[in-house]
Amino acid sequence: MNDPVSSTSPRDMTWARRKQALARIWRELRHDRAGFISLLVLLGFGLVALCAPLIADRSLLLAAAGRNNPDLAAPNAQFLLGTDDIGRDVLAQLVWGSRVSLFIGIFATVVAVVIGSVVGLVAGYVKGKVATVLLAIDEFFLVVPFLPLAIVLAVILGRSPVTLAIVIGITSWAGSARLVRAQVLTLSERAYVERARALGAGTWQIIFRHVLPGVTPLIIANATLIVPGAILTESTLSFLGFGDRLSPSWGKLLDGAQSSGSITLNAWWYYLPPGLCIITVVLAFTLFGRALERIFDPRLAGR
Amino acid sequence: MSAVLEVRDLHVSYKSSNGLVPAVRGVDLEIAPGETLGLAGESGCGKSTLAMALLRLVPPSTQITGSIKLAGQDILTMKPGQLRAARWAQASVVFQGAQHVLNPVRRVGRQIDEAIEAHGSASASRAGELLDLVGLGARRGDDYPHELSGGQKQRALIAMALACDPLLLIADEPTTALDVMVQAQILQLLDNIKRERGLSMLFITHDLSVLSHTADRVAVMYAGRIIEVGAGDALLRNSLHPYSKALTASFPVIGDPSSRHQPRGLAGDPPDPNNLPSGCPFHPRCTVATDECQSVDVKLRHVSDDEKRSVACVLVGKS
Amino acid sequence: MGNRYVAKKIVGALLTLFAVVIFNFFLFRIVDRDPLTKYRGRSKLSLEQRETMIRRMGLSGSKWDQFVAYIKSTLQLDFGRSFDSTRPVLREITDRLPATLILVGVSTVLTICIGLYIGAKAGWARGSRFDRVSTSTTMVLYATPEFFFGMLLLAIVAGRTGWFPTGGLRDVGTNNGFVASLLDRAHHLVLPSLTLTLGYLGSYSLIMRTSMLDTLGEDYLTTARAKGLKESDVMTHHAVPNALLPSVSAIAISFGFVIGGAITTETVFSYPGLGLATADAIRNTDLPMLQALFLVASAAVIFFNLVADLTYGLLDPRIRHSI
Repeated sequence: MNDPVSSTSPRDMTWARRKQALARIWRELRHDRAGFISLLVLLGFGLVALCAPLIADRSLLLAAAGRNNPDLAAPNAQFLLGTDDIGRDVLAQLVWGSRVSLFIGIFATVVAVVIGSVVGLVAGYVKGKVATVLLAIDEFFLVVPFLPLAIVLAVILGRSPVTLAIVIGITSWAGSARLVRAQVLTLSERAYVERARALGAGTWQIIFRHVLPGVTPLIIANATLIVPGAILTESTLSFLGFGDRLSPSWGKLLDGAQSSGSITLNAWWYYLPPGLCIITVVLAFTLFGRALERIFDPRLAGR
Repeated sequence: MSAVLEVRDLHVSYKSSNGLVPAVRGVDLEIAPGETLGLAGESGCGKSTLAMALLRLVPPSTQITGSIKLAGQDILTMKPGQLRAARWAQASVVFQGAQHVLNPVRRVGRQIDEAIEAHGSASASRAGELLDLVGLGARRGDDYPHELSGGQKQRALIAMALACDPLLLIADEPTTALDVMVQAQILQLLDNIKRERGLSMLFITHDLSVLSHTADRVAVMYAGRIIEVGAGDALLRNSLHPYSKALTASFPVIGDPSSRHQPRGLAGDPPDPNNLPSGCPFHPRCTVATDECQSVDVKLRHVSDDEKRSVACVLVGKS
Repeated sequence: MGNRYVAKKIVGALLTLFAVVIFNFFLFRIVDRDPLTKYRGRSKLSLEQRETMIRRMGLSGSKWDQFVAYIKSTLQLDFGRSFDSTRPVLREITDRLPATLILVGVSTVLTICIGLYIGAKAGWARGSRFDRVSTSTTMVLYATPEFFFGMLLLAIVAGRTGWFPTGGLRDVGTNNGFVASLLDRAHHLVLPSLTLTLGYLGSYSLIMRTSMLDTLGEDYLTTARAKGLKESDVMTHHAVPNALLPSVSAIAISFGFVIGGAITTETVFSYPGLGLATADAIRNTDLPMLQALFLVASAAVIFFNLVADLTYGLLDPRIRHSI
């Protein structure tokens, strides 16, 4: 007659369910060829970025490093990707550049996603006047063209990588906020939220412990689709003059190539590699993001 | 006189991730000139699939076998050009007006004209004449679909269906989404048109009460097969197949108070086409099923001559 | 079209523009250092002249005074003087506006026509070779920074073969006749507009394709087929007009990217329009120019969105009858 006392607490059950969900996601990802290959490519780039010090010494980025080398030399045994316009090793810059580009891209996305999710969660759950104000702000950031805004903000706030990342984040959050809000509106009608409210849970508690887990898959899938845009924006800003020549990103390399006239001089090893890296990473993030979208929302399968 | 529509051993199966799903499993039917055949059944029994298949309007990956002869020509063996010419000119469809069956960004009159032009002729006033005929008025041709009410949309669809003077009208649940007064008007309209033009009609519905006025003959469909067919009034008043009996019994009869107090529905759900029961597909829900029903699947067989009744049941037609 | 609908959209656009103007004000007030730091020739100014300049730039007095002065001068289209060239900002902008208008105009028309066509065909024939090839290609295009296209085009077409000029608006000295001058300008326009078109072709095409895929399941397509229409007619007269609707909205939203692309493209090709002016203004930290260019860019996007909204009203009878 006595029920055996269950040894699993609700928390344990939740974690077990989450682990199961992760396992399912991993399984489906393995089957999605485009998504899986993209993930491998991204991990590859990430690895290179982390191991940059092992591949090329940091001092190679300094202007002094190029003094004794021929300028704009074609690839040879010593410099696998040739040298730039002041004689520095292009491959070293490319490898270290991956750090900057990836860091800014990911950090900017984090900024955008955090702002966007908070705004979306509050606007979607709280509704009322607060929501109207938030939505108006969101609409504003959607209308204003992002590059002029980023330029203006970067000029005013500063040009360091962290500042650039924040600036890019500020110009990218508006779309996520909309998505998150739409999802929150659907979820807040669900029974478990009503129950929590009836049991007297506070607003913030409901938002973070009940609504947020339901929105998280959407946020993650959306985040992977924001990263490509952030990387492209960073490369554009660097190309236009922001960023640091002594700690260059891929976009900065392209700026160097352009302003040194290496295009008309046919120094393809200077501008082709960074451009191709940008394309590859952006494409990989896009395909991976779409694969995640398909996994989280099966209705999108077959696109 | 040869039949307007002659269907023999029709099988229609959809392609899905689980393989082939049989929606229509061996259907024979004929419709004579000027005759209205009512096709009744619950949702999911395959009647809409049957209607769509008659003009090959099913998705390209769908498998159709058998023969469908419209005015003597086999639809299934036609080349694309012949098929397009036959569509709307030999037989046309009156869809359920509630769905988005009309292009929302095109004027109603244009959509009618389009059908006429697709068949080679062009008459400026034709759409207007047709709209007058169905009681909408020619000026409605300038309206967009969203400007019409449910009943008006249905009339417009009927006008459109008559655009190429077809021999057969396939009406797929034409009154289902309408309220009762409008239903009556639409049925009256269809009746008048039928008589004036000598049209044949295939009237598909799940609402049997509608068929008692409209249909000359009635066929009842279950799990992709016709399980009973016969003269309209006779079948509705006195069904022989256990399923038809349950179906006719579940509709209250106006004027008979007792039928309101004893709703006699049918327990259970229609079978999953992927997972049909053995033997007779109805036996799990059948109140008079015998052991034989689990293993024997009976085809339609002639039961009575004067009512032209055929029933697909082991228990009917014996002795 | 319903007058209320048009009026509502125009008022909305004006309100948004006003919001941008206010935002602009606050943005540039964050910069607190000596506003004349970058003004060329500042060392030659007397104290009196300095104060006059600062007053004219609206940076003296209380915040409210500054705000009023700012609004007044904005309405009079007085944006101050460029730090770099010391000419009035308005003049600098109007000098370069036509070149950018032509570049962006030509590219946008091309991108919309080609992109929508490819997207519609790819979506309609989903899974076909055309679809697979075009979708992969557009995805790669989408991942490429548009200025990289410019660089590649420069390297391949202009540098090596010399078919096209490597930059500029026209060849100096080609002033013999209107037609010759026109052709010369067109010649210089080819590569930049090709770059800008390629840069955004991808996203417009993908938008239309998605829109088309959503339309494929609609019932009115079955009705059209039942009436005996050819597949091509079903696509052109029934699927496309409906698929265009969400595409118009999505394209309007992405117009902001084209503006950004114009900036980098003009830089690559040294094309003397507003984009190049922006790049120069960045390098020189020319604040008045940047402020005005930001306003112009925002106004352009707001205007384009308005056009898109009105176009949507033209295309969708349900909208223009409702509001």
